[in-house]
Amino acid sequence: MLGYLIQQTVNALTIGAIYALIALGYTMVYGVLRMINFAHGEMFMLGAYAAFFLLAMSIGDIGGAGAIVLTAVFFAGVLLVGLVGVGIERVAYKPLRNSSRLAPMLSSLGVSLTLVTGVQILAGPQPIGFPSFFPTTRYEVLGGSITSMQIDILIAAFVLMFGLSFLVNRSRIGVIVRAVSESRPTAQLLGINVNGAISMVFFAGPLLGAAGGILYASYYGIMSPTMGTVVGLKAFTAAILGGIGSIPGAMLGAFILAFVEVAGTALLPILTNGVLGTEYRDVLAFAILILVLLVRPAGILGETVSEESIVYKREF
Amino acid sequence: MTLAFQNLRKQYGDVVAIDDVSANFAPGMIHGIIGPNGAGKSTLINMTAGSYTVSGGSISLDGKRLVRLKKYEIANSGVSRTYQNIRLFDQMTALENLEVCFYPREVAGTLKEVLWPPYASARHARRREKCLEILRFFDLQGYADAEAGSLPYGRQRMLEIARALVCNPRVLLLDEPAAGLNHHETTELTAKLAALRSPERVMIVVEHDMDLVMTLCDNIIVMHHGKLLFHGTPAEVQASSDVQLAYLGTANDIDDIRAAAQDRRAQLGIRARRRS
Amino acid sequence: MSVTGTLYQARPRSSRVLSFLLLGLAVALIAATPFLPNYHVRVINSLLIYILLGIGLNIVIGYAGLLDLGFVAFYAVGAYSYALLASPQLGLHLPFLLILAVAAMLGALTGILLGIPVLRLRGDYLAIVTLGFGEIIRIIVNNLDWLTGGPKGIARLDKASFAGIEMARPIEIFWLLLVTVVVVGTVVWRLERSILGKGWAAIREDQDAARGIGINTTNAKLAAFATSATIGSIAGVIFAASQRFVSPESFTLQESILIVLVIVIGGIGNILGIVVGAAILILLPEVLRQFAEWRILFLGLLMIFLIIVRPGGIVPRSFGPDKLIRGLFGK
Repeated sequence: MLGYLIQQTVNALTIGAIYALIALGYTMVYGVLRMINFAHGEMFMLGAYAAFFLLAMSIGDIGGAGAIVLTAVFFAGVLLVGLVGVGIERVAYKPLRNSSRLAPMLSSLGVSLTLVTGVQILAGPQPIGFPSFFPTTRYEVLGGSITSMQIDILIAAFVLMFGLSFLVNRSRIGVIVRAVSESRPTAQLLGINVNGAISMVFFAGPLLGAAGGILYASYYGIMSPTMGTVVGLKAFTAAILGGIGSIPGAMLGAFILAFVEVAGTALLPILTNGVLGTEYRDVLAFAILILVLLVRPAGILGETVSEESIVYKREF
Repeated sequence: MTLAFQNLRKQYGDVVAIDDVSANFAPGMIHGIIGPNGAGKSTLINMTAGSYTVSGGSISLDGKRLVRLKKYEIANSGVSRTYQNIRLFDQMTALENLEVCFYPREVAGTLKEVLWPPYASARHARRREKCLEILRFFDLQGYADAEAGSLPYGRQRMLEIARALVCNPRVLLLDEPAAGLNHHETTELTAKLAALRSPERVMIVVEHDMDLVMTLCDNIIVMHHGKLLFHGTPAEVQASSDVQLAYLGTANDIDDIRAAAQDRRAQLGIRARRRS
Repeated sequence: MSVTGTLYQARPRSSRVLSFLLLGLAVALIAATPFLPNYHVRVINSLLIYILLGIGLNIVIGYAGLLDLGFVAFYAVGAYSYALLASPQLGLHLPFLLILAVAAMLGALTGILLGIPVLRLRGDYLAIVTLGFGEIIRIIVNNLDWLTGGPKGIARLDKASFAGIEMARPIEIFWLLLVTVVVVGTVVWRLERSILGKGWAAIREDQDAARGIGINTTNAKLAAFATSATIGSIAGVIFAASQRFVSPESFTLQESILIVLVIVIGGIGNILGIVVGAAILILLPEVLRQFAEWRILFLGLLMIFLIIVRPGGIVPRSFGPDKLIRGLFGK
């Protein structure tokens, strides 16, 4: 029993860490532009594809790659996707900074479609096997089994998250980004390089998302052009649950969601006598999303906006 | 038919925006609400119209409490308003801005309008005629089919007031109707507003323009830091030392200000301009 | 002058030419269809279905100004209603018109049920929640094997028949669809010009000010959702009857987004715009056969381009059928 719990906990932590990496991208973009970036899930997908093709181009035999090559490809892949993120922002969102509130979101719908179908055309619509970026040694802990890959994923994810926290809270860039999140007009008046701050966010967010994609594809051994859609929505749910715009909120929401998913998948068949099975796992995430938005849109760590400060002018 | 505020209170956390305000507004008169910025004038209008929630006390029209009602229910109880920042339906024509006010009374007949064209034409013609009537009163009939957002600023202000009148409101709340108007437009506005006095209507005007308020209003309420400082006729308000204190400081203060200004001019070597 | 300004300025002078062009094209297409081979008729039927779906969704997006990303749920309600009431699945074989009526009411009910919790949400949150609902319905349909056939769907649906006339061949479905599109389109166009339609316009412009003049915005928005869902459901019934097969594959999130694209690209709030948008979605890959795969990619790029340069869509909102008629007869 204890072993089973340990195993499930590690499962949840692993998935939660990956969700967190993606959720951070959503929350940072929302914080700085008040925009829901539909295309962010595709950054996750692009990370996996970028790493795969970098690997294929550099050594040919994917299965036999050594640790050094894998690490190099990992970093190259996430950096590449980060740059793609910056490029997309410049082309598809920057012109809409002063448009209606929903225009950037509609544009991101277009970007998402473009990216998914683009990858489908370039690499084929079918799922492709993905190599493990980490060794998969099994460990027995008190009767439950966990793999070294899970531990490695956790370590990689936490390193990235702490890196981001440090950047946001302790560095000058972080202060600038936070200032722009608070109030863009004020930041502009103070001479802060707002474009730079926004580009920074669109570099860091997709970078983390891409890292999540590589870890996820490693974990499940597979990647497909549509992998970003569902996972993206779940990460978005996590960001909303924790409080959209809040970085600790995104991480908190991600782990809560992962635990609910793991617990739910395990308990659902038991509770409903087999009527509702594990296929309904995705419904759990959507149900949480809808519930949070209806009951407490600010999420756990977000700030409630008073009704009187909301402006109801034309939305799009 | 009176609009009554009883011990009205509005609080944002620790900040008290409206503190125990009680007042009665009788019909057939134009009431003014004045006061320095931040005194709570617009807040009173917003609370009456239902835009802001009320923290304490009550607002009632002819004994019917308005506080718990939704915004549209308050509007349908006969309360109409204009806004400090003009809120017209910019992409609809001037006439449509007025016509849409018939919605509460006529939406139930939509199905018949859709399925039976003669009925729709008749209703539409009747609505259009009533709206044109009101537009003519404000000399806006020429703009009837122009997009509301394309009208000159002064005309937009008038149009907003016209819109507030379509449903023949029992309470008309005007939030700084003269803001941004030039002298000529303000005079025109004053005349139009004066003509709207009616024994079936309570009119309340929040304003900064003292000329307009003193000319137009029969009764003035002075707000200060959320409290009702004074109320009375324009003459009484002008004579009140309390009001002078709040707005200008005491007579002593005025002398001090003058003396300090003279000193500074002497320091900077500026010669005071002689008043002729 | 900005690109948008130039594009908008180009409109008035060519509206007469455009009117003639559009009308001529439509008449030619309708007259030619009975003589086209089945494959082409099916394409035109597909076009008409998307026009119908677009007209439905446009009520919520274009008139009321709410971004619904889960419209496909209502489409599915209609399609599965037909599948369950006219097939071996439950052994029911109800007449076509009756199913149409039942599906319309179910659609309206679903629209209201979805609308009630969702309406007090802010624009972007409303979009996400509607998206979530759409997905939930798809997942449930996909997994409720005993009722919906799960991923395999339901096959061998009855042929549609009305007053003894069977409607199974593509050309018969074409007439059914054409009549439906014209009737629904006319009703919706008149709805837009009714007092309810003006109320929706006011809500779209400034919801708070709309409340201030006494409009019960919640009920108005619910009416929009209900009407839109009814139309989506009707489209679903005809779709199921024409394919004689339904499966969850046809009701994905991407489908919802495509219908949104049809409206946003073609022209928000404008029935002619929907025709243009649907034409781009359906006819373009037919014309450019070898690039068919690229169709959605192209749409995605077109969407981005238009949102930036001409956010109202290709056909401006004010260019309605009455402008078309005026353009032709110079009134």
